[in-house]
Amino acid sequence: MEELGVALIGCGFIGGVHLGSWKRVKGAKLVAVVDIIEGRAKRAAEEYGVPNYFTDYSKVLEMKEVDIVDVCTPTYTHAEIAVAAMKSGKHVMCEKPIALRLREADEMIQTAKKAGVKFMVAHCLRFWPEYVAAKRIVDEGTIGEPRIARAYRLSPFPEWAPWHKDRRLGGGVFVDMSIHDVDFLRWALGDIESVYARGGVLKTRDSTAHDYTHAILKFKNGAIAYVEGSWIQPPGFPFTTYLEIVGTKGMLTVDNHTTSAVRIFRPGAPPTDFTPVEEDAYYKEIKHFYECVVEDKEPMVTGEEARKTLEVVLAAVKSVEEGKPVKLPLGGEVL
Amino acid sequence: MRKLRFGILSFAHIHAWSYARVVKELEEAELVAIYDDNPERLKKASETYGVKDTYTDYRELLKRDDIDAVIITSENAKHAELAIAAAEAGKHMIVEKPLATSLEDAERMIRAAEKAGVKLQQAFVMRYHDATVTIKGILERGEIGDVLVITTTNHGKYPGLWFGDPELAGGGAVMDHTVHTADLMRWYTGDEVEEVYAVIGEKIRSELRVEDNALISLKFRKGVIGSIDCSWSRHEGWPIWGDVWLGIIGTEGYIVVDAFRSCINLVVDGKPLTWVYFGSDCDFNMIRDFVRVVEEDKTPRATGYDGYKALEIALAAYESSKKGEPVKLPLR
Repeated sequence: MEELGVALIGCGFIGGVHLGSWKRVKGAKLVAVVDIIEGRAKRAAEEYGVPNYFTDYSKVLEMKEVDIVDVCTPTYTHAEIAVAAMKSGKHVMCEKPIALRLREADEMIQTAKKAGVKFMVAHCLRFWPEYVAAKRIVDEGTIGEPRIARAYRLSPFPEWAPWHKDRRLGGGVFVDMSIHDVDFLRWALGDIESVYARGGVLKTRDSTAHDYTHAILKFKNGAIAYVEGSWIQPPGFPFTTYLEIVGTKGMLTVDNHTTSAVRIFRPGAPPTDFTPVEEDAYYKEIKHFYECVVEDKEPMVTGEEARKTLEVVLAAVKSVEEGKPVKLPLGGEVL
Repeated sequence: MRKLRFGILSFAHIHAWSYARVVKELEEAELVAIYDDNPERLKKASETYGVKDTYTDYRELLKRDDIDAVIITSENAKHAELAIAAAEAGKHMIVEKPLATSLEDAERMIRAAEKAGVKLQQAFVMRYHDATVTIKGILERGEIGDVLVITTTNHGKYPGLWFGDPELAGGGAVMDHTVHTADLMRWYTGDEVEEVYAVIGEKIRSELRVEDNALISLKFRKGVIGSIDCSWSRHEGWPIWGDVWLGIIGTEGYIVVDAFRSCINLVVDGKPLTWVYFGSDCDFNMIRDFVRVVEEDKTPRATGYDGYKALEIALAAYESSKKGEPVKLPLR
């Protein structure tokens, strides 16, 4: 198989996860990592055996041996970096959210088309085992027509990334975190017609970004959903997710604690629950994108799909701020 | 010790059977007479609880001087007529939730009880569940700081019977399952709801004449955010009737209440898994407390007014869903 060169930009938490996965994809070769913090780029290069590291992303765009750029930077930089990479003829995988503004998402979509490169947004739930299984159950008609769903995603404030406190840089809890559930529900239940949301900055000092939001979504097919995102859980609270879908013939529920294969207790820390699988969601996601490039296939999460999801989470922010339900499509920018 | 002498007015509501069981169990209470407008049901209740004095006309039962109190567990829409007659006959009463199907009826009931000087206790059994009572104490002591958000569910299976009859029930899942957790949120916050937004979903069971699923978002006056999933969204085969679930986010902690999750996993060969509940007996606690309220002339933990305010939230949910907009309280 053809060997493709990969450059990863942004060596933070998710960057590290992606590097580990790229390392395992046969046919892909990590050729460069980039981070504005030199020490972090250097450490990542050493840890994952990457021959080059830079602090300026434009350096990798000039490299002929780079075919794919994986954008793992903070959300507010996605559009600029992705568009520049596409213009340099690189295929782009970009961390979620696609961007914070619809016009940025549009520019990314258009640029990818014009440049004839593959573009995927990393909505990882589409590769997450329990969500893939839930989607299959819905698609097979086992629970009939979906009618009502619930999805929670609860965590303490993500203090590790200071830009999350700035609404214009991170978008807040619903844009950054509940976007996972919204994207999954769109995937499983279809397009969304209107959004009502309540929330705000309830607890986090110095934050302009909402730290709690719950939303009621109305889907075009008549289904409804309650989606809750919290960044105001107490310190040490174990990351918690829940999903429930009820249809005309049955229902399904799953959460990330009671169905875990492994639970680890360490002194002074909450228990860690997880289900190890050889091909984890991130690996599958990254391998999928690699295959899309090699085999000229349409990625699972196109720019258009990610833009639709972005529109819903932005509508939730707008609804919180205006106190009214918001119909889609959105008339303008929110953040 | 003199026992408090009870009559039960109607076994239409499924909770009547549990309340009758409690009255029989309580040392300080006695089940004297029962009424039902359905003779078959009356006979069944009479046999089940060994009550000889049965009536198909509630006025006859209410005429009896040896009955101190009644439990009203008729279809929702009949609560007002029975409660007003009971008040006028000088009987203390527990009224099943929702208090009534309209705020006008609810107010007439409250006024009638006040005028007659009798106790009207709303059967908000969740204020008497040992789990929710424990949490009330934790919240009052400020152990999780200030409450910011209360997310709740009161899921259930479709109860059948008259619950699907809009005239008798006054609605579907919203009427049936909004009030318990709405009341818990009022009790915990000591505050009133200012705004209600709700969406009623397309039916899970297309044959029903009432809604069977809905989502409600609430804002309290002092800023607490709440939500209720009141759906009859549990299909047959789910291991238990449903749930009362609360996630309470405070400035310094988080509490989950899953009030009916204390269950044994039970499988009988060839049949689906069922959950056998072993937790707090809130029906028992509630009726025992009612006896004390009457004996000691106290105010019930859940009053007619509490019933009114919870009903108002359910009615606002219907209005919001119809209009597609948030609705401000009070409604009247």
